[in-house]
Amino acid sequence: MADFLISRLLYAAAVLLGVSVAVFFLIRIGGDPSALFLPPEAPVEEIERFRRLMGFDRPLAVQYFDFLGRALQGDFGMSLRYDQPAMKLVLERVPATLQLGAMALLMSLVISIPLAILAAAKHGSAIDRASLLASLLGQSFPAFWLAIMLILLFSETFRLLPPSGRGTWQQLIMPAIVLATYSTAIITRLLRSSMIEVLQSDYVRTARGKGVKESRIILSHALRNAAIPTLTVIGLQVGALLGGAVITEEVFAYPGVGRLAIQAIANRDFTVVQAFVVLMAALIVTINLLVDLSYGLLDPRLRKGK
Amino acid sequence: MTFSFKRSLMAAAVGVSAVTLIAGSGLAQDNSTVVVAQAVDAYTMDPAKHSNFPTANILFQIYDGLIAEGENGELVPALAESWSNPDELTWRFKLREGVTFHNGEPFNAEAVKLSFERALDPEFKAPYFSRISHIKAVEVVDEYTVDFKTEEPFPTMLLSLYEASFPALIVPPAYAKENDGASIAAHPVGTGPYKFVEWLKDERVVLEANPDYWGGKPAIDKVVFRPIAETRTRIAELTSGGADIIVDVPPEDIAALDGGDTKVSTIASDSLYFLAFDTTRDTPLKDKRVRQAINYAVDVDAIQAALLNGMGTRIALTLPTNAFAYDQAWKPYPYDPEKAKQLLAEAGYPEGFEIPFMSRKGRYMKDSEIIEATAGFLARVGIKANIQYLEPGVWAQVSERKGREGITFPGWAGRDPQLVWAPLLITGQYQSYFSNPELDELLKAGASIIDPEERKANYAKAAEIIKEEAPHLPMIQPPLIYAIDAKLNWTPRSDGIIDLRKAHF
Repeated sequence: MADFLISRLLYAAAVLLGVSVAVFFLIRIGGDPSALFLPPEAPVEEIERFRRLMGFDRPLAVQYFDFLGRALQGDFGMSLRYDQPAMKLVLERVPATLQLGAMALLMSLVISIPLAILAAAKHGSAIDRASLLASLLGQSFPAFWLAIMLILLFSETFRLLPPSGRGTWQQLIMPAIVLATYSTAIITRLLRSSMIEVLQSDYVRTARGKGVKESRIILSHALRNAAIPTLTVIGLQVGALLGGAVITEEVFAYPGVGRLAIQAIANRDFTVVQAFVVLMAALIVTINLLVDLSYGLLDPRLRKGK
Repeated sequence: MTFSFKRSLMAAAVGVSAVTLIAGSGLAQDNSTVVVAQAVDAYTMDPAKHSNFPTANILFQIYDGLIAEGENGELVPALAESWSNPDELTWRFKLREGVTFHNGEPFNAEAVKLSFERALDPEFKAPYFSRISHIKAVEVVDEYTVDFKTEEPFPTMLLSLYEASFPALIVPPAYAKENDGASIAAHPVGTGPYKFVEWLKDERVVLEANPDYWGGKPAIDKVVFRPIAETRTRIAELTSGGADIIVDVPPEDIAALDGGDTKVSTIASDSLYFLAFDTTRDTPLKDKRVRQAINYAVDVDAIQAALLNGMGTRIALTLPTNAFAYDQAWKPYPYDPEKAKQLLAEAGYPEGFEIPFMSRKGRYMKDSEIIEATAGFLARVGIKANIQYLEPGVWAQVSERKGREGITFPGWAGRDPQLVWAPLLITGQYQSYFSNPELDELLKAGASIIDPEERKANYAKAAEIIKEEAPHLPMIQPPLIYAIDAKLNWTPRSDGIIDLRKAHF
C-alpha cells in the first residue's frame, strides 16, 4: 500500500511538472500580452518598453525556470490585468465553482444511479429504451445551446428563474442542470451497461438459482461490481465539472474559475492561466488518486494483491 | 405530528423561495437603483492601472477628470473650471474650489499634480501611458491653478485629459499611496457622483450616490454594474427585470426590445469601420487607381442598411463626423462598379487579382458579416479577397512586426485627425501601411498648431490628398446599441462611456 502511494505521488508530481511546461509554452506561442494591454495607438517603442518592464523580453527558458522556482514556493506571480497575485484570483473563485460542481454532481448521481438500476433491471423494456434515448440526447446537447434554451424558457417566458449571477439557490438551478446533463447521461449509460453485464454473469445466475431475492441481487451483487468502472467515470466527471464549466459559467455569468480562465487566456494574462491550469491539474490528479484508492474499498481483491 | 411537521417544512420552503425569488430578480425593479450589465467585470478600481472600457465605465461614476464630455459631445469643465494657453507649451487650468474626495481629502492643485506624476512614473506601468505621455510636467501655480507643460505644442491636450483618457481621472494623493496602491485598487475613493460600496469579483460592483457631489446629488441612489458576457443572457436579464441598461445589443434584437417595458437607445460611436490597404508590399494595392477602384466597388450604404439596420453614420474619410476638422461637405466615393472595373483595367488588372483580406472576428459588432459582404462586392469587379480571421492576440503579434497584408479591417477610434490620421497614415508609423511625403508634412504640422482655425485649414489640405490617394475605404461610424428599462431616462455617448450623472427614472 505504501509503495503504491509513493509511486502514485511521484507520478502525480511528474504530471504536474509536465502540465506546467505545457501551459507555460503553449500560452506563449500566440505572443505576449503587451500589445493587447496597451491602447491600440501605443507606438512600438512603448510596447517594447512595457515588455522590458514586465520581463517578457527575457529568453523563454529563463522565464520558465523563474516561474517554476517561484511556483514551487507557492508564488504564481502577479496578474497583469488585475495587478493581484494570480493564485489568489483563482482561489477566490474556487468556492463558486465547487458549489456549482457539487450541485451538478449531486443532480447527476440522484438521477443517473436509480435510472441506470431501473433500466438494467428491466433490460429491454420501455423504461430501458427511454433511458438510452435520454442519455444519447444528454450527451449530444451542446452546453451552450441548452443553456440559452433554458434561459429563454425559464427566465424570459415563464419568469421563474433569474438568468444569471450567483447568490440565491434559484441562480444555481439552470447552470447546474446544464452541467449535470452530460455527466448524468454518461454515468447512466455506463452504469446501466455494467449492471446488465453483471446480471448476466454466472454467479448472478447461481444466486438466482439459490433463490436470493432479485432486489438483493441487483443492489448488492450487481451494483457493487458495476460500481468500479462507474466510479472511474464519475472521477473523470468531477474533474470535468470543475475545470470544464467554462461555457456554463460564461452563459450564466456565474463567477467561477472557468470564466476567469477564459478571460485570462484571451488577455494572455499568463500568470492567471498558469495558476488555473496547475491548480486544476493538481485537483484532477488528487481525484484520480482518491478514485484509485477507493477501488480497494469496493473490491477486496485489489486490497490484498497489488 | 409527521403531518404538521411536513406542512410547516413546506410552508418554510415556500416562504424562503418567495423571499429569495424577490431578492434574486427584484434588484432592478425599484426606481432608486440602476443595474448596468456589460460584458466583463472591472479589473481594478485604480483608474490608471487598466486599459479596459467596462472598467472605465465603472470608475467614471466614482472619479472625475479635469474636464468631461458634455451632452453634445463637446468638452466641458469638470474639476477644472476653465483653461487657457499662456504660451504654446503650457495649458493652464483653474480648478474648482471646495471639492473634497469621498474620504475627506481636499481636491486642489497638489492632487492634480500628484495624480499625473503617479501615472507618468514609468515604474507605475500605466497601460494608457501613451495617452498622457506628452505631459512633461505638472506645476502648481497656486492652490487652485495648475500648469501642464509639454515639449512641443500639444493641441489635443483636452482629449488627453477627459475621462476616456483613463489615467487622467484624479485620485486622492495620500490615499493612492496607501499600501503601495493596493488600497485604491480595491476600495476606490474619488470626487465623483457615486461612492464605492462593494465589489464581488465577477459578480457585481455596487455604488451609492454621493450626497455631497459638486455637480449635485445624482437622482439614482444606487448603481450596480454586473458582468454578463453572453448577449442573450444580458437580454434575458433586461426583459426579466434584472438589469436596467444592457450594452452591445445586436441590431436584429432591436425590434423585439424597443417597446413595452424596454426601449432601445443608440448613437453613432466615435469608432471607425474602414478598410486599410497595405501599400508597403508589392501588390496591386500600390496603385492609387486600384485603391480608388475598391472605393467605387463596394456599396457601403447597402451594407449599412442590410447589416446595421441603417444605423450608424456613413463617413467620407476615415474620421468620425463629430471629430475636429471633419467637413460635412466631404463626400465618399459613390458606388459605381463600372467605374471600378474601368480603373482596374487602366491599372492593368482587367481580369482583377487575388489579395489577402485580414481581420479579427467578433472584435467589432458585425465585423465578419461586413467583411464577407465587402468581399462579395469585390468579387463582382474581379477582386478575389482571401479572408483570414486572426485571433486578437495573434493579430497584435502580426501587427507588431508590420505583417498585415493586403486589405485589412483594423477598426480605430479618435476624435481628432491627430489621433486618427497621424498614427494610420504618416510614413513608418506602427499602424501605417501608407506613405505620402506631402501628407506626412501636413499631418506632422497639424500635431503642433494650437490655433484651431489654422489647424482646420491644414487638415482640409490633408483631406484632399487622402481622398485622392485613397489609402483606405472609409465606411461607417458603427452604432452603439443599448437596451434600457423603458422608464429610465439616460443618454448614451458616442465614445461608449456610460455616464449616470444625469440618469433618472
